[in-house]
Amino acid sequence: MRTYIPKPEWIILDWHHDCIAAEMLCIQQCAACGVWRHPPRKFCASCFSDDVSFQPVSGNGTVLSKAVSHRSLDPGWQEQAPYATLLVELAEGPRVLAATSVAPDEIEIGHHVTVRIDPHGHDFALVWADPVSTTTSRLESTT
Amino acid sequence: MSTGFWGTTAIVGVGETDYVRGSDRHVCDLILDAAMEAITDAGLTPADINGIIPPPGYMSTEEIAAHLGVPDVAYHVSVLMGGASPTASLQTASMAIACGLADNVLVCMGWNGYSALSPKPDAQPTKRTMNLGPMGETVRNFYAPYGLMSAAQHYSLYLRHYVEKHNVSEDAAAAVAMACRKHAQLNSKALMRGKPLTREDYNASPYIAEPLRKFDCCVETDCATAIVVTSLERARDLAHPAAVYLGGAEGHPAPADEIANRPNLLELGIHRAAPRAFERAGVQAHDIDVLEIYDCFTYVVLLQLEALGYAEPGGAGEFVANGNVELGGKFPMNTHGGLLSQGHCWGLNHVVEAVRQIRGTADAQVKGAELALVTGYGDLGDGSVAILGSDR
Repeated sequence: MRTYIPKPEWIILDWHHDCIAAEMLCIQQCAACGVWRHPPRKFCASCFSDDVSFQPVSGNGTVLSKAVSHRSLDPGWQEQAPYATLLVELAEGPRVLAATSVAPDEIEIGHHVTVRIDPHGHDFALVWADPVSTTTSRLESTT
Repeated sequence: MSTGFWGTTAIVGVGETDYVRGSDRHVCDLILDAAMEAITDAGLTPADINGIIPPPGYMSTEEIAAHLGVPDVAYHVSVLMGGASPTASLQTASMAIACGLADNVLVCMGWNGYSALSPKPDAQPTKRTMNLGPMGETVRNFYAPYGLMSAAQHYSLYLRHYVEKHNVSEDAAAAVAMACRKHAQLNSKALMRGKPLTREDYNASPYIAEPLRKFDCCVETDCATAIVVTSLERARDLAHPAAVYLGGAEGHPAPADEIANRPNLLELGIHRAAPRAFERAGVQAHDIDVLEIYDCFTYVVLLQLEALGYAEPGGAGEFVANGNVELGGKFPMNTHGGLLSQGHCWGLNHVVEAVRQIRGTADAQVKGAELALVTGYGDLGDGSVAILGSDR
């Protein structure tokens, strides 16, 4: 699938670099007060510390909303239509948009998902979120 | 009124082109035509204009002034809130007038909203572009890579949440679409005049980005509109009854530059602007005679009606049912057809219609309309409100 890939700059490029280096989703966290924040900002708006960095997250999240697109101006995405884009609330608090490999009617608001990244070159990583498999859910419910 | 400022300025001139798909005219011609019509409608000449608020892109104040023959621009400013810009501009124009920075302010809007994406085969596309403001960077970096390029897709992120949280029925959205289309049948310039919309048509229309069907989305058009704002004192000597700017406000969600990380996805700019606007104008929601609500998408209208206090969160469906927002109903809404059925001029066409309602000269006139409320909505949820009244 060939889709639009942006050329990030500034602190958004730093975010992508750190995700790609860690081979997992990282989110900006304030070392002073511990607050997680996305999208990345210049400094911590909670305590005004500039001691912020990108830290790996658990990858666990919940679907807060989903956009189901039947048309796209992007030819690559148009081939996939209809497709869902998920608004995922991470266990750490911040929310990210994520592509998903499941059909729109197989994922609903409130479902638990696991998040991973898919690097495109050195400067951009796409976030994906897929439903936690039923086996995993059963394990979780028994522990 | 809370201060001596509110109610001291008025809209005295309006101009608008036809709303078409595939104009034979250059976008600059459209903008200048609407501007000249507004100045003439006010009974003024370009020499009387000394303040300009230009469209967000396409033409600069400098160019507009030079083409119109405005000899002395004393004040200009750009307002960049997407579709919330024109209604918010009334604040800025009125402040400039009240402070003595300018006497007569021209506010312009115009674009090739249809031809930019679907040019005629033989058309020479313009190299002029609009200023995307805060949307550009966010969409480029965070939404477009996930296949979300259009406003319908971006807004569907919270409209889907809205529909599921409050169990909003499609009846509510359809009622908005059909009221606008019904009013467009009465508007001489509406793109959708002569094309009525039935509930069956609505139900049969395909999804663009759920919950938005084709007929939940506004119509892209080539068009331009303009207004002239002046002091109420000067307005009383001019051609038409003044549409007094009684009060207005803008508001921005937090963060305004990104949708996903707002604590409440459904708290938009208008939720902050609405109470400010009512307080400034010294009126209440139930006092309003005619509503011109920014209708880029039907569900966005429902959210705004709730923010304005016409219904509880999730309850706007009842407010728009049973013809309540149609001509003859208690709160006629988008009497020109709105963005959904007249055409998309960033809501300055809503301001133009509100002025006509106050003057008593609208194509679909609300009998005895003395108070009109206009909203603007733009970018990723910025909002603006203006309350206009007759000079009683």
